[in-house]
Amino acid sequence: MSTDHNFSVVGKSLPRSDGRIKAVGAAQYADDIFLPGMLFGKLLRSPVAHARIKSIDTSAAEALPGVKCVITGQDIPKVKYGNWRLVPESQDEYALAIDKVRFIGDEVAAVAALDKDSAEEAIRLIKVEYEELPGAYSVEESLADNAPVIHDEYHQDIPNISLDRKIEYGDLDKAFAEADLVLDDVFTVHATSHAYMEPCSCVAEYDHDGRLTIWTSTQAPYFVQCLLASTLEMRENDIRVIKPFVGGGFGGKMEMRPWEFCAAFIARKLGRPVKFTLTREEELATGRRRHPMRIHSKVGFSKEGMLLAKEFNVHLDGGAYNSMGPTACFLCGNFGAMLYNYPNYRYYGAHVYTNKPPAGAMRGFGAPQALFVAETQMNVAAEKLGIDPVDIRLMNAMETGDEIPGVATISSCGFKESLIKVAEMTNWREKRKNLKPGQGLGLGCYSFISGGVFNWFNTRYNFTSAEVRAFDDGTVHLMTMASDIGQGCDTVLRQILAEELGLKVSDIRLTAADTAVTPQADLGTWGSRVTLMAGNAVRKAAQEIKEELFRMVSLKFDLNVIHDLRCGDGKIYPANRPDRAVPFGEAVRMAQRAKRGEPVIGYGSYTPRNKGLVTPAFSFGAQVAECEVDKETGAVEVKFMTTAHDCGTPINPMSVEGQLEGSVHMGLGYALSEQFIMKEGKTLTTTFLDYKIPCAEDMPPGISVHVDTYEPDGPFGAKEAGEGLVSPTAPAIADAVYAATGYRCMDLPLTPQKVLAGMNKI
Amino acid sequence: MSLPQFTFLAPTSLSEACALLEKHQGTIKIKAGGTDMIVRLSHRAVKPDYLMSIKKIPGLDTISYAPDTGLTIGALALLRAVETSPLILENAPMLARAAHATATVQIRNMGTVLGNVCNASPSADNIPTLVAMHAAIVASNGTTEREIPIDEFFLGPGRTSLQANEIAIAIKVPPLAPKSGVSYQKISPRSKVDIAAVNIGALLTLDENEQCQAVRISMGAVGPTPLRAKQAETYLTDRKISDETLAAAGRLAAEDASPISDVRASREYRKLMVEVLTTRALKEAYGFAKN
Amino acid sequence: MKKELITLNINGDDHEIAVYPWRTLNEVLRDQLHLTGTKLGCGTGDCGACTVLLDGQSVSSCLTLAVEAQGQKITTIEGLALEAAANKDLEKCELDPIQESFIAKGAIQCGFCTPGMIMSTKFLLDHTPKPTEAEIRAGLSGNLCRCTGYNKIVDAIADAAEKISPTK
Ligand SMILES: Cc1cc2nc3c(=O)[nH]c(=O)nc-3n(C[C@H](O)[C@H](O)[C@H](O)COP(=O)(O)OP(=O)(O)OC[C@H]3O[C@@H](n4cnc5c(N)ncnc54)[C@H](O)[C@@H]3O)c2cc1C
Ligand code: FES
Ligand code: FES
Repeated sequence: MSTDHNFSVVGKSLPRSDGRIKAVGAAQYADDIFLPGMLFGKLLRSPVAHARIKSIDTSAAEALPGVKCVITGQDIPKVKYGNWRLVPESQDEYALAIDKVRFIGDEVAAVAALDKDSAEEAIRLIKVEYEELPGAYSVEESLADNAPVIHDEYHQDIPNISLDRKIEYGDLDKAFAEADLVLDDVFTVHATSHAYMEPCSCVAEYDHDGRLTIWTSTQAPYFVQCLLASTLEMRENDIRVIKPFVGGGFGGKMEMRPWEFCAAFIARKLGRPVKFTLTREEELATGRRRHPMRIHSKVGFSKEGMLLAKEFNVHLDGGAYNSMGPTACFLCGNFGAMLYNYPNYRYYGAHVYTNKPPAGAMRGFGAPQALFVAETQMNVAAEKLGIDPVDIRLMNAMETGDEIPGVATISSCGFKESLIKVAEMTNWREKRKNLKPGQGLGLGCYSFISGGVFNWFNTRYNFTSAEVRAFDDGTVHLMTMASDIGQGCDTVLRQILAEELGLKVSDIRLTAADTAVTPQADLGTWGSRVTLMAGNAVRKAAQEIKEELFRMVSLKFDLNVIHDLRCGDGKIYPANRPDRAVPFGEAVRMAQRAKRGEPVIGYGSYTPRNKGLVTPAFSFGAQVAECEVDKETGAVEVKFMTTAHDCGTPINPMSVEGQLEGSVHMGLGYALSEQFIMKEGKTLTTTFLDYKIPCAEDMPPGISVHVDTYEPDGPFGAKEAGEGLVSPTAPAIADAVYAATGYRCMDLPLTPQKVLAGMNKI
Repeated sequence: MSLPQFTFLAPTSLSEACALLEKHQGTIKIKAGGTDMIVRLSHRAVKPDYLMSIKKIPGLDTISYAPDTGLTIGALALLRAVETSPLILENAPMLARAAHATATVQIRNMGTVLGNVCNASPSADNIPTLVAMHAAIVASNGTTEREIPIDEFFLGPGRTSLQANEIAIAIKVPPLAPKSGVSYQKISPRSKVDIAAVNIGALLTLDENEQCQAVRISMGAVGPTPLRAKQAETYLTDRKISDETLAAAGRLAAEDASPISDVRASREYRKLMVEVLTTRALKEAYGFAKN
Repeated sequence: MKKELITLNINGDDHEIAVYPWRTLNEVLRDQLHLTGTKLGCGTGDCGACTVLLDGQSVSSCLTLAVEAQGQKITTIEGLALEAAANKDLEKCELDPIQESFIAKGAIQCGFCTPGMIMSTKFLLDHTPKPTEAEIRAGLSGNLCRCTGYNKIVDAIADAAEKISPTK
């Protein structure tokens, strides 16, 4: 069930609908908004990693000309927030520190002034007296006896563990006893920055009727709306969150943030619009990041290469607050058991507080870490057992219909095809045997979720919904809270709607991500949920419309009930009598007449139910990296990337490719060049000169193919394509470096220094 | 972050500029392209009362060549101009390579080679080649000019031997002796576009027996100022060039280096890179010298 | 401290404005004139989102003092299409061919880097009408993009180069 789908809009590489406005510089991002009378805000951040706040003196700042407002933790409601509303005690953050600061960069006070200069100057004039406390800057330090307790009031039995998760099935002891090969390794993986190009920014405005509007660079307007309501002690409906154009997110913009709170709070207090925009230095020095982890992984194989058991122990270095760490902790355990059939599996994951900027959600959400480990061990096992890495994977690979006990059933899976394809495309078996000195070839694979089925946010709405209004001029208006942050869902959702209704993309107007006008709710852009979930909701809304219009056409031609009706080419017609076609707009007019003026509106929603514990659908894929290592300098150059992947039906292949190439970029940086250098909780790499994301010259060329599958739970067979692909790159590169040098990296990033050390040169 | 407040000065003559330097000593900073200075201002690493742009001073942007005196690169000659100048590509292509290896297109369209030199950053891309090639900085105090040999120019990170009332108006690079070759090698391991973790400039001159007659090796990012690899230079002089002698010179250069560990690289790594890059630079310079 | 009255020529229009000497061109364009097509991604010269042309040279507006941009022709992303429209040879294109190619080739995702990328491309193609792939990549050395992985941007630039100066 795959290739014979005859789509007219879905599956086409249409240019982005927002391409033009962005190309001419007219797209407005939050910082591009200027409102009359607007003030400029600035945050004061803690310069110390762990301390009690003894006193704050804001008098000099308040006295500075141009300064209109200074607030501290004492001025705001004592309400903590966090995305895990289902577990209220896990909400561990105040918008401004009230008692303690827990990392360098923790927000302590905020200022709003007539201009940026005065706001910045005022921040320098605020005097804070801290009583410094000892800090803990790594998992080891946090878990040591007599480690400082970072959150006195909230933790598990072990003081700095905020949350843990266990998964277990099968009989591990027995399986390990029977295994012919047991690998038992400790890996460490590092933190990286989302490094979205648009620094966070928001503008808040309060009207004289009690409503607060905020334009903010966010991936999840609904989360911001709900959490602003609780922290400001307002009603949800009194808060309107509008997502303007957003310059990338990658997981870094899916929570409510202190500047959003401060902008809203001050706007409400003064009745004037307030803007906060972060600097790049703030972003890099204090912003959310990917979780560093220490992973102890033990896997057992039979001598034939069959996986028998895996024990996966993960400590997430969470930084000072939970942020999205609990979700990463949860998902990491699932990713540890993905891709292959592990008959016996045990996971223990612990989210550990440290005095560092909190780690949050980031593209891959636990998968890049888990899969770097799993895929590296797969490569090690292949070598030890004398089996080709492709073959050992084929033996253990998941297939459609496979089950992860108690967790999920794989409803579509193109993993084996991806492996076979990528081996063919790279001439894997031959090439691996004929490597030139310094050359290496390596393999990495991935699987990822298409949105989560969990509801830790505890929304009372469906996970996503869509409203479609049809007009008698043959156009429709789609309203959805789904948030395009650059990944292209505005285009993809229009394609899905156009396909369903037989219209052109240009016939569809879209209003998105405005909590006051788009239907409640959508949980936001994360976990690769939008195409599948919002796509399904859009289809359902469209189907309601279709049903109504079909009735009109049926009536008009007095059709026998057995007739199947279709939408296509802007018309509605019986499947076997295309000559009896009614233009879409005319059908709408008929429907409206029949209802005496009522508009034609379709509503659809989607909430995954009975889809296990994780996700409705999994993507899969395999990637081969070709590298060259300068054995004198340790420099690794990635020459070519080949990818075969299964994202179900690609709704827009050009967009999918764009996601893939962007993922390779991020995976490349993760593997080789990106790293936060820290000293006692202080981030030293605070500019793009020191925090090195790959530039155009670093990026290798590559090719990719898409393996044909059809996901029954996805809209037109689609599933995720935006995140999973970030995972295979690092293990593939590390494997290629091993082939070239004999150095097996178990400690990312793979710096030239480590390569040389691994070759015993330093 | 907004820049701190300053009074902006844009003199239109050298004498006016030097008089301003004299008058506001200690509270004034010079700005050429500003690609270092504006960044430092925004980080508040410096907070001068006066910022003086020298861009309005006429005649400082020239690049010229004379067979007897060699190249003269004016203070306002942009990195991009040096990178693409036919005079430089013909007479000192390594200077063009070093300029090209500096920063990004936009920064090279703004920044100057002399700014890179006067900024006196240990990792500056243009310095090692200029040191190897016996460059001299022409300094003016508005009335008199003097030439400062580049070996005497650097006092520490960001510190030069310019007097408070002096402006560097040009850098001179003498013509190469016959049978000479130059090389510039840089390693910035994390990305193609990056600040150097180590960089090496080398000038090698051969005698009629193809032995090393003279050699200068300058090492960047491995000490507070650009360092000469003196042991390696002494070792190689009057010696026959071979893979072994070049490798030995590399090892000696690493001994001369005194790098620190920082966010860009560790001390051990830097030392090893000095060895590798010195050998590579000498090898390349030798190749050019032979032809 | 006093503001200076200066005149900036931006996209062909003269703007008379009062600025403090420490204002960057980026601040003036965005905060004062609300020409927000030019972005601010870092403020330290590293990302290229703020790239504009000064007398045809691509520069970082975040490191340029507004007072020093006086007397030069400033071109921002907003001006590019205007220039294209004024050029008779490009009558067919409503936008600059670079902008058209970026749209058609999928070189735009979040779009935040796009104005800077396009201005850098303009500089590149003005000086190197037929760039090789390596030259294109080198021409983007000062522009970071987190979304696209650059490859589609490289394709778009090659496409634009072909449109502007067709082979043979
Ligand atoms: C994003 C970015 C990337 C960079 N990458 C690199 C790189 O890869 N390699 C590298 O080496 N550098 C790099 N730099 C640093 C900088 O671009 C260069 O050092 C540049 O050559 C400086 O020239 P400028 O004209 O802009 O100097 P300015 O900033 O104007 O001045 C630099 C210093 O020199 C002094 N000065 C300048 N001209 C004179 C003069 N004529 N007489 C006396 N003093 C003077 C100034 O007072 C100041 O202290 C980078 C900078 C940025 C912003
Ligand atoms: S904002 Fe100017 S280079 Fe980044
Ligand atoms: S498209 Fe998002 S940064 Fe380039």
